[in-house]
Amino acid sequence: MLVKSDKNEILSYLSDAANFRGNAEKVYVPEKIEEVSRILQECFEAGTPVHISGMGTGLTGGRVPAGGVIVSTEKLNRIIEINKTEKFAIVESGVILEDFHKELKDQNLYYPPDPTEQCSSIGGNISNNASGAKTFKFGPTRDYVLALEVSLADGETVHLTRGEVFEKDGFIDFKSKNGRAYHIPVEPVNMPTTKNAAGYYMRKGMDAVDLFIGSEGTLGIILQAKLKLLPLPEDFLSMLLFFEDENVALKFVAELRDSSRNKKNEYIDALAIEFFDWNSLEFLRDDFPNIPEGERTALWIEQDVSGAESDNILLAYTELLEKYGVDTEEVWFATGDKERRELIRFRHAVSQKVSDFISRNNIRKVGTDLAVPDDKFFDFYHFCKNGSEHSGLKFIVYGHFGNSHIHLNMLPSNEDEYRIAKELYRELCAEAVKAGGTISAEHGIGKIKREYLKMMYSDRDLESMKKIKAALDTKNNLSPGNIFL
Amino acid sequence: MKIVVCVSHVPDTATKINVGSDGKTIDQNGVTYVVNPYDEFAIEEALKTKEKSGGEVVIVSVGTDKNKDTIRKALAMGADSAVLLKDENYRDSFAVAKALAEEIKAQDARIIFFGKQSVDYDNSITGQMTAEMLGYNCVTVVVRLEIDGDKVTAEREIEGGKEVVETSLPVVITAQKGLNEPRYASLKGIMQAKKKKIEEKDAAAADNNLEIVKMFKPAPKAPGKIVGEDVSAVPELVRLLREEAKVI
Repeated sequence: MLVKSDKNEILSYLSDAANFRGNAEKVYVPEKIEEVSRILQECFEAGTPVHISGMGTGLTGGRVPAGGVIVSTEKLNRIIEINKTEKFAIVESGVILEDFHKELKDQNLYYPPDPTEQCSSIGGNISNNASGAKTFKFGPTRDYVLALEVSLADGETVHLTRGEVFEKDGFIDFKSKNGRAYHIPVEPVNMPTTKNAAGYYMRKGMDAVDLFIGSEGTLGIILQAKLKLLPLPEDFLSMLLFFEDENVALKFVAELRDSSRNKKNEYIDALAIEFFDWNSLEFLRDDFPNIPEGERTALWIEQDVSGAESDNILLAYTELLEKYGVDTEEVWFATGDKERRELIRFRHAVSQKVSDFISRNNIRKVGTDLAVPDDKFFDFYHFCKNGSEHSGLKFIVYGHFGNSHIHLNMLPSNEDEYRIAKELYRELCAEAVKAGGTISAEHGIGKIKREYLKMMYSDRDLESMKKIKAALDTKNNLSPGNIFL
Repeated sequence: MKIVVCVSHVPDTATKINVGSDGKTIDQNGVTYVVNPYDEFAIEEALKTKEKSGGEVVIVSVGTDKNKDTIRKALAMGADSAVLLKDENYRDSFAVAKALAEEIKAQDARIIFFGKQSVDYDNSITGQMTAEMLGYNCVTVVVRLEIDGDKVTAEREIEGGKEVVETSLPVVITAQKGLNEPRYASLKGIMQAKKKKIEEKDAAAADNNLEIVKMFKPAPKAPGKIVGEDVSAVPELVRLLREEAKVI
């Protein structure tokens, strides 16, 4: 095991992709999962706070400590088993998503969770219940976790298999491998029906595995996970559509979503519906000079296909697009893996371009991660957009519109504008909550969004969450400062 | 006027290549193929030439049925028709050029586009050979092109600069990155491409002048060495660079 304490050496662990900064005394880099328990036990006894670091791709400061030590999972990166017959994989938490996807592809298997950041770690994905574009059809990380091995704050290790331990009479009970018993009070809270990464998962009769998914490192360190796999689809249809009129694009989203969800057309079953507004296209023009002039909105659509159906699917999309007056000559169509990678790059480039713009101009981004129920989405989108336009701020909107999920990034250029952006951000969060949505659909709460969690949950709900934390981490040692103020 | 684009079907640059058990070919296991990336510039330039001056863009490719994926993509981008010159066996650049030249003659095409090289064997020679066999003018590594009537003005990349040349039709142009921004295949293009016929013929007979004797991968790079992580490591680093690596 590596232990780093030199200031320069540990600097890279002290921030995340949101550029949220902190400090720590040292970084442990365990190479075997048994080493994690030992570190945790020592820290627990000494009362030293522990933060957990995956690949540092988080956007809410979740891995960033204010003192104490860091346990980095980067060397716990073994793919232990890929079972083709039963379609599952057992991986350590530091496995990088991109490596995992590649390994599976070679074996004709598929793990759908795909937050845009491919360099994130599986452990990080589970801690945040990561989702992304493909969640529209395939659901978030939670739906793929079959079992977890977790090191708890006191250094005990627990193995939980889905379907074995449930909430009963207000408690979840399990024992660690050493036989230590845990008695965790669970009072159900009213969780949004949208995709959600805000606060603990607390439902009547819930599975104990679900408690740890999305708990942002506050309840334990994920050591290993057993993940559900699917057969690799034969092919993916991937295309980028351009619209002159944003409202037409939104109507198209509504129909495509309805068609896919409710099987209204046997050939239309999108797996992802991604939206880019005019500002997104402006950011992308340098890299993609072929973006047609005059188009104000783009949608990226993907669908998994099997060979025999592909002609019918193309025909169905052509008809649907023509109904909305889309010029199919301007629809970029991926004819193979290489072109598909190009379209994925298009999606990735937007967030990258925004980050570049922010660092170049030395400004701070105020970005939403809001999702609302589908039937409230279009009103909500207009509310967000009108508010942003009215504020006079520069902003850019993209997101997983299939899931009614908006990334609206405000780009304030000075302190006054930053203040305006923060005020607007609060208003948008309030509106999302009012609509029955979430203030964090996929990025988590971390340390950046704690004050907004209070808008979603009552004091009583938050107290219930804290009781879970206290039952598993009596000294508030693990990732202190995450989720709760 | 016919404009011919010669395209080749090559392993995806992102694919992991392994040498086959015979030590002379690549192992096809898990290898996906794509349009040769330089040929995409050639296709785009042909389409632009057609859009400006009219004509018909014909795709010609030498190989097996597998080349049809590449041909379909070219058709989806907007080419009008395609000819697949079939040969199941390996052909060297000369033998490929021979087959292409025969077909171009039969098509009576006077503007021919190639990519500057195929990224499989990287010989960068088929375009030039074809031009020679046809007795056509040839400009290689072209980054800007203007065709006005019979007059051809092309800017080509040379070591440390650019060169502008003038010539006349008939001409073979080999395309370099930067010549244009290849368009994406469109949904409409895909639908239309399905209806376009790919004419199949036997490739004109030609003997190879080259034989692949052996194919092997470069020796794996030795792992890096971390000498230290702060300033104190510099003297040791300098010593190693001087005495062990012998680079300073």
